[in-house]
Amino acid sequence: MKKVLALALCLMMVGTLASGCGKETTENKGNADNIGITEAPTQEGEVTPDVTEGAKKVEIDTSKTIKIGVLVSDATTPEALAFRSYYTDYIQKQYNVEFVYSDELKDAAGEKSAIDTLVTNNCKAIISFSSFDRPAQIEQCAGAKVYYAVATGTLTQEQYDKYKDNEYYVGAIGPSLEDEYQTGYDMAKRYIDLGNTNYAIFGGAIPYFTDMHIYRAAGMLTAMVEAGGADANYLGATTKEAIVQQIYADSGIQTGNIGSLSIVAYVGGYDMNDAWFAQCAQMAQTKDLQVILAVGNGSDFFGAAIKGADVKIASVDAYASSYGDAMNAGMLDYLAGKFSASIGPVFAAVYSTVNGYPIRTDEGYALALSQGYWIAASSDEFQKYYAVDSSKESPAYTKSALDILVGSDYKTFSDFVSKYSFDEVVQLSK
Amino acid sequence: MVKDTIIEVKHMEKRFGSTIALNNVNITINRGQIIGLIGENGSGKSTVTSIISGMQRADSGEMIFRGEKWQPDSMLYALDHGIGMIVQENGTVPGITVAENIFIGEYEKFKSFSAGNGRKWGFIRRRQMMAAAEKVLDNIGVTHIAPEMLTGALDLQDRKLIEIAKIINKNPDVLIVDETTTALSQIGRDIIYKIMNRMKEENKAVIFISHDLDEIIRVCDALTILRDGKIIITFKKDEFDEQLIKTSMIGRELQGDYYRSDYDGSYESEVVLEIKNVQLNNRLKDFNLQLHKGEILGIGGLSHCGMHELGKVLFRSIMPDAGEVLVHGKNIKDEAEAMKQKMGYVAKDRDIESLCLNASIRDNIAIAGLDEFAVNNFLVLPNKESKYVQEQIDSLSIKCTDKDQYVSALSGGNKQKVVFGKWIGRGSEILILDCPTRGVDIGVKQAMYQLMYTMKKAGKSIIIISEEMSELIGMADRLVVMKDGRIMKEFPRSKELCEADIIQYMI
Amino acid sequence: MKKIDVQKQILKIAPVVALLILFAVFYMVGTIKDINVAYGMKAIINQSVVVAIVATGAVFIYTLGSFDISLGASVAVSALLGGIVYNATKSILLMLAVCVGIAVLVALFNSVLASVFNLPVFVTTIAMLSILNAVVLMLISANGTGSQIAVPSEAVAGLDNLGIKVLVLFLFEALCIFVFNFTKIGRKQKFLGSNPVCAKLTGISDKKMSIVAFVMSGIGVGLGAFLCIIYAPTLTKNTATSVGMDVIIAIVFGGMPVSGGARSKITAALIGAFSMTFLSQIMILFNLNLGIGQMVKAAIFLFVVFVATSNQRAKMLPR
Repeated sequence: MKKVLALALCLMMVGTLASGCGKETTENKGNADNIGITEAPTQEGEVTPDVTEGAKKVEIDTSKTIKIGVLVSDATTPEALAFRSYYTDYIQKQYNVEFVYSDELKDAAGEKSAIDTLVTNNCKAIISFSSFDRPAQIEQCAGAKVYYAVATGTLTQEQYDKYKDNEYYVGAIGPSLEDEYQTGYDMAKRYIDLGNTNYAIFGGAIPYFTDMHIYRAAGMLTAMVEAGGADANYLGATTKEAIVQQIYADSGIQTGNIGSLSIVAYVGGYDMNDAWFAQCAQMAQTKDLQVILAVGNGSDFFGAAIKGADVKIASVDAYASSYGDAMNAGMLDYLAGKFSASIGPVFAAVYSTVNGYPIRTDEGYALALSQGYWIAASSDEFQKYYAVDSSKESPAYTKSALDILVGSDYKTFSDFVSKYSFDEVVQLSK
Repeated sequence: MVKDTIIEVKHMEKRFGSTIALNNVNITINRGQIIGLIGENGSGKSTVTSIISGMQRADSGEMIFRGEKWQPDSMLYALDHGIGMIVQENGTVPGITVAENIFIGEYEKFKSFSAGNGRKWGFIRRRQMMAAAEKVLDNIGVTHIAPEMLTGALDLQDRKLIEIAKIINKNPDVLIVDETTTALSQIGRDIIYKIMNRMKEENKAVIFISHDLDEIIRVCDALTILRDGKIIITFKKDEFDEQLIKTSMIGRELQGDYYRSDYDGSYESEVVLEIKNVQLNNRLKDFNLQLHKGEILGIGGLSHCGMHELGKVLFRSIMPDAGEVLVHGKNIKDEAEAMKQKMGYVAKDRDIESLCLNASIRDNIAIAGLDEFAVNNFLVLPNKESKYVQEQIDSLSIKCTDKDQYVSALSGGNKQKVVFGKWIGRGSEILILDCPTRGVDIGVKQAMYQLMYTMKKAGKSIIIISEEMSELIGMADRLVVMKDGRIMKEFPRSKELCEADIIQYMI
Repeated sequence: MKKIDVQKQILKIAPVVALLILFAVFYMVGTIKDINVAYGMKAIINQSVVVAIVATGAVFIYTLGSFDISLGASVAVSALLGGIVYNATKSILLMLAVCVGIAVLVALFNSVLASVFNLPVFVTTIAMLSILNAVVLMLISANGTGSQIAVPSEAVAGLDNLGIKVLVLFLFEALCIFVFNFTKIGRKQKFLGSNPVCAKLTGISDKKMSIVAFVMSGIGVGLGAFLCIIYAPTLTKNTATSVGMDVIIAIVFGGMPVSGGARSKITAALIGAFSMTFLSQIMILFNLNLGIGQMVKAAIFLFVVFVATSNQRAKMLPR
């Protein structure tokens, strides 16, 4: 009897969950990293977007919800959550689209399988934040006649040349490696100019040969070489190219003097085990340390350890509330951060393409545009940016700003994207 | 002594699916009585006792215990309220000490501090618990088991004794002994008999289940016979008659001989199996023995005399420390080679060592006969396999629904027939049978004895290792008595041989 | 008796019924929600085939009542070495041979290690898991670009079609069913899993059988690795990481008794792998987010396993 009861309960649970959850639309599914379909409210009162840029008339049928798949290899970091929130809490409410998120992907096979699932669920386009095998993603999408775009990243030149003609490849908008290099350079330069001499570097994914982290670090080291005096060099390297090569060769960064400046400590990787955390704590407490330059998130790993010491932390990441708190608490001094709406233009390009208005270069190629970071060097600056970035009503790129892009020509589009500094963006959205 | 009723079972019914296990069973047990419950396997005797002891519930009927309605919902409840059962299967936990097993569920009483509400807290005072356990063991006459030993390190008999101690410690009014003695040697049995007699003297009651008719006749005051879930008859002590009891149990006269009827005792001179100067830690000491073609060799002794180990050494499943085992003059190194030499081994612990309970009759019989029916000694064709298995089922008349029935659902006797089928089917020439009739009812026993005799006449060689002297006397051409790992005495087959002659060499 | 038999038969096919129900639900809900069901079916085969093959081989190990947690890592190592060999030789056949060869070697190493040290095999597989994970990192950093080993996608694109995958699956399935049900080896495996003590006393060598079981599972791992490369030729340290756990779930989901033995079935792996994928796809259709989706999955999983194994737990007549 007990067994029967238990069984019945079990079935009921399955039943209610399955039926109940099917219909209900939860408002915020930002945290869900299963493939979850977040349905958009139907927008019956909505009229055709009023886009009258130039002489072109853009007619878009808004009666049918367009499903767009999103591939993510990270679903929990502040950056990922901010991006997700912009799509599901803002864009999805403004346009008649529905974002279908993938699981947190771990490898190329996962990407492929997720794309299959997204195609099965009738996604018309896929925006990818996952980069295990971009060419495979593009080919698979093209094979399934689904549009594909890269958010917050770029293809290599070789890859771009191969796929720029492909009508299903919409393009990529994100920081180029040059941008990454510059970000690292600017960060280090700021502290050098303030007279600091003793640095520690957090290398993030350098041991995994992640290009953007290597270029950011190379930027930092180049700035040091330039400022370190006549004979300053990093292990003999003095140019950007040589330093990049050296980092690739070591899959890490060596401590030591660069002329009058010195790198007193280094930690790389994201092992996240006890030994690694101990290394981090040790690095933060290195004698005479003045600044920790992180190629990624620094405050989470070192913030607690520098409490009470006069050490500054500079990070590269995104505008998330936790960084504001870190700045207030003195655990973060400088942030080069992506703004969450930076993925707006890529959406606009996809949306436009799906609706029959592909945005291509004058030669008819896919987009390859670069877009950098917002730099906050004080809590006030951070709060100013963050207020705009986190707004669910009027984010950095509002609908009216993005509407400029839908159905636009290449020049309009690339001009728009290139004006990414805070003031420019705010101006555009007005 | 007052002969008042202690427990009464009225109109008890129990079904398992479509099988009627108990059909209107009525039993009355008086104080100061040891009542025997016997019947063939599947007759329902264990079902009755399992209901009385709270292991399961009846579908209908009622029980009255000490004048009140009795409906225990667990064995623990029953034990706490006066009815304890020592079961067939193992009831101890191997990973804890003897003392912990004895006081399982009662550790609290060894804690240091009273919590006020009748409960206690703090560490368990080990020394106190050990002392108490020792007392409990002493109480039932067991002195060779130390309370701090790990239970898993003890043998079957000692574990059984711990279980008995655990139950007796609760001082039950009714003790149920369910085929416990089959697992015990003479020493263990004596301990149980003593306890049973003491309970009788204390005006309590004992329900005793056993397959050993001699034992039951000796020990019990009354005897109730069950067959197919029904009470057939109850005999009082002065009405006990072995032949009558047997007939009542199986519902017909036993046809033909029980053991073999001849006293010929001859066999061929060819030695088929020989064990030379074998040494096995303390179990076998410089042991030498020969088995001949067409011989039934009986090996008797107390449980710990080394004879069970001898069986395993002969089949090469235990490596001796020294010495050799020769089959047809050839040294063998493992069980697979022994099987190639057409040897077969029926283990004492049937359910674990000789059978796979969670597999079908087909699986169990076919596994030893793969060489016999596999095409090119590799390919197993279902029809060939079925035919092979069915032949064994038919020739041994194994009672089953079909060959895919699980062995666990068979009675003890039929299980043992499956084991025999496994070895006979592959044409074994040499059989080592360790307690082959343990837990087997009379009808099957008789069939097995006759089978052994037939095999002997066909020139096969058999070793029977047994703790039951009567079957050794009844079956063996030659009887070897062992004690402490050595052969004490060898008897040729003879009409005059009796148990007393043998027992003096065993102890 | 008849009634019990019928019940037994029903329970026997419970996993198959579950699979059919899941398929029906997927098809119906998919049609109602207007998804691309045909594409979805292809996706489901693609998503199931590697786990199905590896799990099918692993049934041999599970039959012995044993356990191998290093299967996923073994798939990864085999695939990586296969990829490296392909890049060096440009021979698909050689790549296949290396995948299977390495996987079998790893499996042999596992079982031989267990028999040399006289340990339960699952213990050696725990050690093997660490070793293989380390090998994955070493291979990746020593070869390829440092973060991945990529076989040119053009090289395997021709093989990346359902026909080949289904064929490989079918052939391997047939081989396993043959060995398991129609040879002495299979009988001995089952018996050994049911009762090792009795098996030993029936002349069955547990060491030999465990080696055979691991070799069969190694072949499955090797084929799985090969299909992994074909499916996603860019291999990273995360390649096949989920396979290990998925294999365990698939085998149980398919109605295989966890303790192995006589009731073991080769097809359990195949059925379980597909059921699992259908279930995941249905969860997606029902728009369930992580927490609830996982809970529903877990509940269904428990329910199916409960039904499928209830005849094994059924009360037996007291003897």
